[in-house]
Amino acid sequence: MKYVQYINSLLQDSLSKKSNTVVYGQNIDAGSCISGLTRNLSLKNHTHVINTQNSENTLVGVGFGMMINEVSSIFFMKQTDFLLLGIDHLVNTYNIIRQTKPTASFTIFPVTVDSGYEGPQSSLNNLGDFCSIAGVDGYTFTNKNDAKDIITNHLIKPGFRVMSTGQKYLREEILDLEILNKSHSDDYFQYKKGSKATIVCFNLALIYGIKLHEDMLKRKITSSLFSVNAHLCSDYSSIINDIKETQKLIIIDDTKSRNRLSDKFLTDVLSECRLNKKIVVSRSFNEQSFYPNNDELEIDNNKLIESVTN
Amino acid sequence: MEEEKVAIIKKIIWLRLAQIIINERYKNGDFSIPIHLALGHETLATAVDFSMTEHDNLLLSHRNMHYNLARMGSLNEELNEYYLLKNGLAHGHLGSMNLSNPEKGISYCSSILGNNLPVGCGFALANKVKEHNGMVFIVTGDGAIEEGSFYESLLFLKSNQLSSIIIVENNEWSLATKIEERRAEIDLAKIAESLNVKYSVLKGNDPIEYKKTITSLREQTIENKSPILLEVKLTTLGYWKMPHEDFPDGKFINYHGGPAPEVSEKEYPLLDLTNKDPLFPLEKYLPKKELLKIAKEMAAQLKSEIS
Repeated sequence: MKYVQYINSLLQDSLSKKSNTVVYGQNIDAGSCISGLTRNLSLKNHTHVINTQNSENTLVGVGFGMMINEVSSIFFMKQTDFLLLGIDHLVNTYNIIRQTKPTASFTIFPVTVDSGYEGPQSSLNNLGDFCSIAGVDGYTFTNKNDAKDIITNHLIKPGFRVMSTGQKYLREEILDLEILNKSHSDDYFQYKKGSKATIVCFNLALIYGIKLHEDMLKRKITSSLFSVNAHLCSDYSSIINDIKETQKLIIIDDTKSRNRLSDKFLTDVLSECRLNKKIVVSRSFNEQSFYPNNDELEIDNNKLIESVTN
Repeated sequence: MEEEKVAIIKKIIWLRLAQIIINERYKNGDFSIPIHLALGHETLATAVDFSMTEHDNLLLSHRNMHYNLARMGSLNEELNEYYLLKNGLAHGHLGSMNLSNPEKGISYCSSILGNNLPVGCGFALANKVKEHNGMVFIVTGDGAIEEGSFYESLLFLKSNQLSSIIIVENNEWSLATKIEERRAEIDLAKIAESLNVKYSVLKGNDPIEYKKTITSLREQTIENKSPILLEVKLTTLGYWKMPHEDFPDGKFINYHGGPAPEVSEKEYPLLDLTNKDPLFPLEKYLPKKELLKIAKEMAAQLKSEIS
């Protein structure tokens, strides 16, 4: 099963448990239904599905308006950059409405542009940029089990948040990873436990972390593997405890933003752990970022593993 | 004279006097928050107040004092909010520019130009989902209609058949620039026509005409499930003349926000001897002696409330 079909089934399942939810966005019930992401949502429990006009600023405000009138909604967007037109509301509207502790839910669900060749808009691949401007809760997910927990627990709950996954993940087969441990609020998940290094992935970079973990295993080097899903995560206790054991940290952050959650994480780690090795793999922001390209985070795992073992 | 007409006239005068009390304290430096008086907007606010039912909602902009006072019918809670006190209308959390009062139907208020329009759309959509009987008033201005959210919202309301009235308070000014100083003319009637939205206009501050028109428009939007665009041409009073070497009679300074330096307490608080002042046309309905009597009664009521 493709990941997009699986996410669609999770959305259908969540909507079946909450009546009278409004689901809206451009072409969400027409054409490809955002490549299948939003197909058949109207079949569930009196869900109101609206194919909207192309007015993202107003459509973000609409969700907040429904929220103060006690109607829950989800606004789907084909691309994260569409949300740029609505950021006034993320700050100025949400900061007023959050004071009233609303009982309704509002979720904005854009798809992160990371499949390559889109050109200028693909430089915006960090949902955390939106989260940081007004302390907006935000989640990204990458596999079967983190998506299940995050969508089930957060998609339709009182309050506001944004959530997303990447185009790359959506078009591939489901990544099925066993969860060994997770933070209680689904901020991060642990998938592997090892003793020689701790790999921590940020912003949809889990796929690179898995490959690195496997390549290390081929050399009989075990590593712990974490992925951080929440963009306002501030308590990394379990990860830091693991790093204290391995004393070797590898951060993989796929964001092109200069506002990186992994930088804050590293500050926390350095204040609590003595490290024998610290490696940060991240994007460089250069002229190529504006042009169509294959949008891959290039990692030389062999070189990286040698660096860890030396 | 009909009881309602007298009540409308009393409320207009009361609104003027209440704002003048706020202005006196503002001039005295009592408030640390920005406040926008709405002198000259009293007729519209009163007509909306008298047209609203318990099922209706009102979404406002930064200049909201007139509606908040009209809906509340008392001054203390709003004054205390401006002082950011815990016993203020919003417990001192909202100040002036974002002051809402859900218990009185003021569901949202935003200091950001054009921001309340989309939120009003969502509020109206939720009404439809809940099969709610009422409608939504969204108040904006001639500055905010320059924002994209105005067109987007009007289109959204029409596309989704939402019972609503967008009220454009057109005072011709956006802060310190008149319309002709900042943009081309916007023909709201044509914009409305292009979307098959009913357009209506009010001017001249006749309180009975305003109430009758707004009540009728309210019924139409509910019946037709289609938004209405209502343009209200008005003047924000409190303007003054600043001594200036290039202007022998003083340079005209438009009132936008802050204290109005030349407005002060007086027995009958008329500020302009034309229909620009909502108090001026009241003489059509009651002799000046009666109006003065009402003003004294209202002033005493306010004094008693804030003492």
